[in-house]
Amino acid sequence: MPAAVGRLFRGRQGRDTVSFYLFVLPWLLGFIGLSIFPLLVGLATSMTNYNGFNLDNLKFVGANNYLRAFGDVDVPFSLWRTVYFSIINVPLGLALALGIAMLLNQRVPARGTFRTIFYLPYIIPIVAQVWIWRIFVDKNFGLLNAIISIVRPDTAIGWLVDFPTETLIAMTVWSAMGGAMVIFLAGLQGIPNELKEAAITDGANSWQVFRNVTLPLLTPVVFFQLVMSMINSLQVLVAPMLLAGKQLGQMPARDNYMFQVHVYQQIFVNNRYGYGTALLWLLFVVIVILSLLVFRSSSYWVYYEVEQEGGQK
Amino acid sequence: MTTQSTAARRGYAGTAARARRSALGASIAYWVRLLLLIAITVIFSIPTIWLVLTSLKPEGEYGVSPIHILPQNTQWVNYATALVYFPFYKYFMNSVVLATSFTVLTVLSSSLAGFAFSRFRGVPGRDALFSLVLATFMVPYLVTLVPQFMLFAYLNLTNTYWPWILWGIGASPFHIFLFRQFFSSIPKDLEDAAEVDGCSKFRTWWQIFMPNSLPAAAASTIFCFTWVWGDYLYPVLFLNDDITTLAVKMMTGYVDPNGNILYTLQMAGVLLYILPMIVIFFLAQKYIIQGVVTTGLKG
Repeated sequence: MPAAVGRLFRGRQGRDTVSFYLFVLPWLLGFIGLSIFPLLVGLATSMTNYNGFNLDNLKFVGANNYLRAFGDVDVPFSLWRTVYFSIINVPLGLALALGIAMLLNQRVPARGTFRTIFYLPYIIPIVAQVWIWRIFVDKNFGLLNAIISIVRPDTAIGWLVDFPTETLIAMTVWSAMGGAMVIFLAGLQGIPNELKEAAITDGANSWQVFRNVTLPLLTPVVFFQLVMSMINSLQVLVAPMLLAGKQLGQMPARDNYMFQVHVYQQIFVNNRYGYGTALLWLLFVVIVILSLLVFRSSSYWVYYEVEQEGGQK
Repeated sequence: MTTQSTAARRGYAGTAARARRSALGASIAYWVRLLLLIAITVIFSIPTIWLVLTSLKPEGEYGVSPIHILPQNTQWVNYATALVYFPFYKYFMNSVVLATSFTVLTVLSSSLAGFAFSRFRGVPGRDALFSLVLATFMVPYLVTLVPQFMLFAYLNLTNTYWPWILWGIGASPFHIFLFRQFFSSIPKDLEDAAEVDGCSKFRTWWQIFMPNSLPAAAASTIFCFTWVWGDYLYPVLFLNDDITTLAVKMMTGYVDPNGNILYTLQMAGVLLYILPMIVIFFLAQKYIIQGVVTTGLKG
């Protein structure tokens, strides 16, 4: 056995193996210590009655915490609010990013300046975003109601109270759009002009060029953005809480009671570590299932150039 | 013969008319696009402009009805007051120290791993490990954060910067991915030449790949730094009020003794808080956008 192991590390291939593992060692240690181990600790916690203080008389409760989730009315409610938020936020954000990227990909002056302006909200940290939007949509002193008052005098809509999820979506789209837009624009610029010119020569109008040339070639980029945006949206936590108050743990508007907010309340406010970690594992499962569904669907709508080239050669 | 030439002439005239029409169409489309872009620009900038305008008003001018769009009595002093209303400099430095240590470690360990994943062909386990890197994107951050919180509390590491040091050493999947994508575009000849000259893999990484990947390193550095600068959740959970970051203080720092928010001062503080991010963005815009594109396009 030692001889076999020794052989594994001799020669060029062996030396490479050793150096490869040395190079990835910091990540690997971090991955084991800060991801795998906590995951297992979390899974174990989810099957106990741990409340932060009872390490000495910890009880194994099996699947009880998971079963409890099915009787908790806040679970379907918060899950629905999260899905509602994501189902509007993800397509709206991506469509807007794609639309603006397409505008910028045409003959326009000051393309760089426009790109910078649209990208800027993306670099504004969440705490600053929240303050910007809180004073912008303020019921009595906000600029938004003042603008609406131009056409509909004396508007005093309590956006954060009456339309909290819509406000949250507006803020999220405003701040996240720039990142996707820059990526889409680069993707559009990477599409060879010959392909579009060939389609035009064949008599295609600009809609047909978009529908049959541009969009298919951009689908891998859209796909990647869709997956990442979906995963992020389902985990929304800090924004709804801070929009409501000055610190975490404060109850957001009922409509902004997202799934992770419920989890946060259980763990950090009510000290229900066991139940909270069980909820997190349920969310994990939901995200994996949804991601797999999107990955599965990709063979129907995502265009992969590699396959095409392989087929031709 | 005549018919033919007439047809030809008519065809030519038709093309010319079409060309004129399409030139007109193109010009209309150009102006429509421009107006649309300007409209979107206005809509996107309004919230930020309102932040700037509010930060320049005296406190009494914020809560008046009807609202003042422009400050009637411009208060530049708000910025000076915002800097001393609470120990702004101390929390600013906390953010700088925390962000810098996390950034240096993350960039180094992520580029090491990115180098390994991109330049070691045929090493057993490489592809499986890289799939693990990508799979971590799917894990909700609270799923690992909550047990980490329990573990760090158990080890007495909360209220210290150690968690950020450990996270930094442990690298970040996003940054590993960024470096791997960038390193993959460096020609193999460069690596072979180094090997012929007897350069070790480690020296190849440090003396050849890193200097040739300044855009990726710059993007990675900026993403790390801005992440810590903007992060609210981790410092709020792991750090006490004395050693916490500016982001956390931004939520609660500007209140009067009765706990009422001092809005104009608050907005001046927010502007000072995001100013470093905006400066960094304008200085390194090229690298940032290249970095965003590198990770977003070749997914």
